[in-house]
Amino acid sequence: MEQQTGEWVQAAPLAEVRRRKRLAVTVEGRRIALFLVGDDVYALDDVCVHKQRSLSKGAVLNGRVICPGHQWVFDPATGRVEGRDECQPSHAVRVEDGVVYVDPRRRDPE
Amino acid sequence: MIESVVVAGAGQTAAVAARTLRRRGFDGRITLVGAEHDAPYQRPPLSKEYLAGEQDRDELSLLTPDWCECNGVELRLGAAAAAIRPAERSLELADGTTVRGDAVLIATGGRPRRPPGLDGDRVRYLRTIADADRLRAELRPGARVVVVGAGFIGCEVASAAIDRGAHVTIVEQAGRPLGHVLGDPMGDVMAAMLRANGVDLRTGEKVERYAETASGAVLTTAGGTSLEADVVVVGAGMVPNVEPVTGAGIDTAGGIPVDAYCRTGVDGVYAAGDVARQWQPRLGRHVRAEHFDNANAQGMAAAKNILGLNTPHTAPPWFWSDQFGHGVQHAGHADGTDRLVVRGRVEDFDFIAFYLSGDVLRAAFAIDRGGDLAIARQLIACDAALASDVLRDEDADLTDLFDALS
Repeated sequence: MEQQTGEWVQAAPLAEVRRRKRLAVTVEGRRIALFLVGDDVYALDDVCVHKQRSLSKGAVLNGRVICPGHQWVFDPATGRVEGRDECQPSHAVRVEDGVVYVDPRRRDPE
Repeated sequence: MIESVVVAGAGQTAAVAARTLRRRGFDGRITLVGAEHDAPYQRPPLSKEYLAGEQDRDELSLLTPDWCECNGVELRLGAAAAAIRPAERSLELADGTTVRGDAVLIATGGRPRRPPGLDGDRVRYLRTIADADRLRAELRPGARVVVVGAGFIGCEVASAAIDRGAHVTIVEQAGRPLGHVLGDPMGDVMAAMLRANGVDLRTGEKVERYAETASGAVLTTAGGTSLEADVVVVGAGMVPNVEPVTGAGIDTAGGIPVDAYCRTGVDGVYAAGDVARQWQPRLGRHVRAEHFDNANAQGMAAAKNILGLNTPHTAPPWFWSDQFGHGVQHAGHADGTDRLVVRGRVEDFDFIAFYLSGDVLRAAFAIDRGGDLAIARQLIACDAALASDVLRDEDADLTDLFDALS
């Protein structure tokens, strides 16, 4: 997960993401959901592309993010929706010295 | 070798089956035969966002004519399936023409149940986009709306009507809404939620007489209550459209029975969605489900099995209902369970309730706890045995319970 053009914004302490596993933060006015999957942190837009529910109130199961509204299943790395054409905006993440940094710009879909 | 598939029906199940067939590389002929004139569309919003006027018609589209053309899927719309001829693997349409297929999928869905005596110009049923368009125009500020039946459709219509400023009364025969699905305690929670949002809920009341005058409809209940209405919406369940298979050697009482592979028992003939009654090993009987996820999952399974991919559908049922700004979800079968454990605050409509048989989780019901419910679905699927105090404890992460099992 390499930085593309480099604009890192401090989002949350890593310890808090580890403790809560799902965390909504606001980065430069954008609501972003951080997820702990295994030992890695991923960032997706918090507001679901489907019906605007908050993904950070969902679940992480078998390495995938599940929206609490209608159980759409997302790949935390790409934002791709399982079995559908839609895609949740995703963001690059960097962890350094116990701090989670997020690039607030949407990562280009693959 | 399967070279052609004909689907009786053009709703959610049929659309998912067609998509699945193409995704899995099937390049033969696919024909969807739909009684309605509209190309396949989503039904869940018809009693929710679409009815409340928050969504447009084109947002409901499931398979656009463009997609069908690019993917070689033929839509025969406005053409009801009349009869299936199993020996020839063909479908006879109401217009007298016949469509043949190496495999036939029955996905004809259902139609609203019409209780006797409830007939008139002000009586509405909700199943199709045309029904929703008509009702939507009638849910005006100040309109008197009486909903007969406090099932999910009735509750969602009530929610949309309240949103639009109408006065809503629900008449329900049973002692509480949805008690037969959720059990009495959670049925009482649904009742509290309806009342907290301004619905005049009359439980234990049966409509005995119905009449219309120039100024409105008058419903009289068995208890002698008289209710006036501008519009009456009946949500009294659904009748499966089994008629096309009548006389084809397939049992049709209460839906078409199928195994986990959506097979009817007649070679090459499958059934899925609202019309199908699928074998449920946990309950030891066939169950017909009338929900979106069931239509998807069975449509997908039927398509894969038509292609010989041996895919059983065994996941516990799951459905959602959006009403009064709350996300309501249920998974599994509460039927036959003996214990209810609640995590969260029932009085705030922010909780998940777990239904157990002994220690084994069989079902869950949640309001605004979709994340927990997602995990509960998985726990139900693996017949997890769980301790009540852990389930009740807000600080015990359900994901950890699931990870500990797998």
